[in-house]
Amino acid sequence: MENELKQLIIDTLDLEDISVDDIDSQAPLFNDGLGLDSIDALELGLAIRKKYDVKIDVDKEDVVKIFSSVSTLAEYIQAARG
Amino acid sequence: MTVDFVLRSWNAWAPGMSCHQDWRKWHEHQTFAQEEKAALPATVPKILQRRLSPLGRAVFHAADACIDSDKSLPIVFSSAHGEVNKSLEMLKSMQKGEDVSPTAFSLSVHNAISGLFSIAYDYHQEITVIAPAQDGIAPAFIEALGLLQEHYSEVLMVFYDEPLSDFYPSLPFALNAPAMCALALKVSLTGSGLPLQFNRSSANRDDGEQALQILSFIRFLVADDKALVLGNHRHSWEWHKK
Repeated sequence: MENELKQLIIDTLDLEDISVDDIDSQAPLFNDGLGLDSIDALELGLAIRKKYDVKIDVDKEDVVKIFSSVSTLAEYIQAARG
Repeated sequence: MTVDFVLRSWNAWAPGMSCHQDWRKWHEHQTFAQEEKAALPATVPKILQRRLSPLGRAVFHAADACIDSDKSLPIVFSSAHGEVNKSLEMLKSMQKGEDVSPTAFSLSVHNAISGLFSIAYDYHQEITVIAPAQDGIAPAFIEALGLLQEHYSEVLMVFYDEPLSDFYPSLPFALNAPAMCALALKVSLTGSGLPLQFNRSSANRDDGEQALQILSFIRFLVADDKALVLGNHRHSWEWHKK
């Protein structure tokens, strides 16, 4: 799941020079880590909805926590899909 | 209205053309390379590079050679159609009932390229983005020369446009260029460079929209011509080498 998610991040966000192995599942995705920004978060949210049919509701969920790393994102998607 | 000014430096990019020498050759042969992406200046952070469209890369390439190290120039960008091809793609995906990409949307607005430029170069000077509609390159000159009259010692103008999608009719508007092109002009009121004069002309002309006028202006710069008149029915303007 985590590797699949990493590939989705690379493809969705045009991270041409980065491979799955370069992304640390525990490292922060935004700012300091991969250096992604808020537009990337929206784009990723859309891609996750398309691929996993999981909608991350910004009003109800702790978005910062969900998007904090590949690992937290994978956990959230798995829980949401039941 | 007559204004004297000095062209301090210029740089332009189109497929196959990235320096003055290339443009002088183009003036003889008038051909462009088929497919080519502008090389990006090393200053542009990797994470931002992925956001740059081919048109954005052309703009960065042209402008980079004309900005000074202390980044003190205000910049006037001018594009008739900007990233309208991107907007068309979004409309098509909406028609199919698909979600619109937030990234594509954020990069489709008229000041998207200038916004990326200010982020990539950490640029804090005044930036204007003009959509001159049918009036070609003249409105940006009026804006830039106005800034020089206020208090700025130098101003950078950056013109850019790309061929429109076949979806849009190119006739009778005479707006379609043979190739994508970005032109950067650094101007001042005094100093060394090419002295030019800019004034209104009464000629009734049909020189097309900005995409075509950019190339006419580059031709004027590399050729021996003393004067250039450009207009598109409503207004005409004249540039003279002094």
